[in-house]
Amino acid sequence: MQLKPDPAQLRRKLIAASCALLSTSAARSQETSDPGLVARVLKEWQFESALAYYHENGRIQAIEPVVNANHDYADGGNVSLNFTFDSLSGSSPNGALPSHAPQTFASPSAKSFASARHPYTTQPGNLPVDPSYSTARAAGGGDWTLPLTRLSRITLGGKVSIEDDFYSGTVSASIAHDFNDKNTTVSFGINDESDLIQPIGSTPVPLSNYAAFAKEGNKSKNGVGALLGVTQVMTRNWLTQLNVSVDRFTGYLNDPYKIVSVLDGGGNTTGYIYENRPDSRTRKSVFVDNRVGGARASVDLSIRYMSDSWGVRSETVQVHTRWWMPARQQYVEPTVRWYHQGAANFFTPWLPGSDQATTRYVSADPRLATFHALTYGLKYGYELGGKLHRSSSEFTVRVEYYQQTLQIDKSIPVGLQGLDLYPGLKAVLVQFGFSY
Amino acid sequence: MKVLHILSLMTLGSAALAGCSSLGVKPWQRDILSRSDMRPDGAGLDDAIDEHLYFSKEASSGGRSFGGGGCGCN
Repeated sequence: MQLKPDPAQLRRKLIAASCALLSTSAARSQETSDPGLVARVLKEWQFESALAYYHENGRIQAIEPVVNANHDYADGGNVSLNFTFDSLSGSSPNGALPSHAPQTFASPSAKSFASARHPYTTQPGNLPVDPSYSTARAAGGGDWTLPLTRLSRITLGGKVSIEDDFYSGTVSASIAHDFNDKNTTVSFGINDESDLIQPIGSTPVPLSNYAAFAKEGNKSKNGVGALLGVTQVMTRNWLTQLNVSVDRFTGYLNDPYKIVSVLDGGGNTTGYIYENRPDSRTRKSVFVDNRVGGARASVDLSIRYMSDSWGVRSETVQVHTRWWMPARQQYVEPTVRWYHQGAANFFTPWLPGSDQATTRYVSADPRLATFHALTYGLKYGYELGGKLHRSSSEFTVRVEYYQQTLQIDKSIPVGLQGLDLYPGLKAVLVQFGFSY
Repeated sequence: MKVLHILSLMTLGSAALAGCSSLGVKPWQRDILSRSDMRPDGAGLDDAIDEHLYFSKEASSGGRSFGGGGCGCN
């Protein structure tokens, strides 16, 4: 056994190692001496992108590309920008009930049945849907986080969203402070949203007869909200979060395209009126999230309770798990979500004609009904590691199935018996993601 | 109401625990907590797309951060 190294061999190895280091440094120096703008952005920013495809059973389909860009500054500050584009098309329920007789409607832009460019007739037994529904949305926003002290920071944000018939702008501000060796973070934020609603064919007069085509001008609504959050590191494997939030919207809160069937005593449809909701709504919520992680798996359990001044009460429970493959380059994430809500106190699937004169608020929008919904999801992630010169880059595929089951407990009049009045909703979401 | 009571207890429990400075870890023990699956904002785009879906189909939204909004879909 040779214990003393050969000096000549050692010298050769040192020279070789020095040359290797120098050549690497020289190559890096050459790369970074004059990087172009694109190269600098790619180097200094993190990007996250996704393309989502959403499809409902026989109704809406949507395509949604999303891009997030994020940059961390050396002083702890951060800038993030996001862009979203939605394209929706298909058939949208108009709020009317199925009937044993054919029902004829006009598209929202119509001034009368006679002049309607896109009238549509719903066959007996089918749910009335507007078959020519189509819209697009472009949205962009950003957040700027500035450190105030070593333990405090503020975040200022803004967001704009533009659709054919809806314009929205939101500003937000929040402050966060760390305690206990950065194991406890308390944050408080406020936001203000202003919306302008310009319905296709103008805004229908609430509670007016659908066949009268009574319209009025554009509408607006405003919302303010506040959120108080506490995040606590419990152990090396356990993080818990508690959020309490409240928001209040005022102004035009109707869906301008939703109508309500008016029935006679026998359950036969005699006409339709436009819905009307209260012009203010206050919502309160409590959200609790617990994350527990191990070497190759983690579980995220979140619970939310929400109530509002319209009488809606909802509970949401979501379980999210991640399982790493043995090589830790790939993972799968099964997800289950259960949601239940109670109806708004002015929701009704139809309006008896005898109540029409005295009704102040009414909506047959199933989103305000009592229902429960289940989501099953599975995500697969492949971490590209050093393949793209960045350890955080990854490719993901996600599939979700969403099913909504209405639970409307109302006795069915003779004229509606035998019809599937509340068909519910089934939808599939497929999403491809890439981050760099 | 039962759910409300359970949530209230969890809220009080979390608040009490958050006030206890004996909880937590040292900076060198944050290896697992720094992973994306352990960060509240770790699933950014997935959460944003899901929130948009639920905002357009349900009467409740938000809670995780500032809720929904910015869309005429509900």
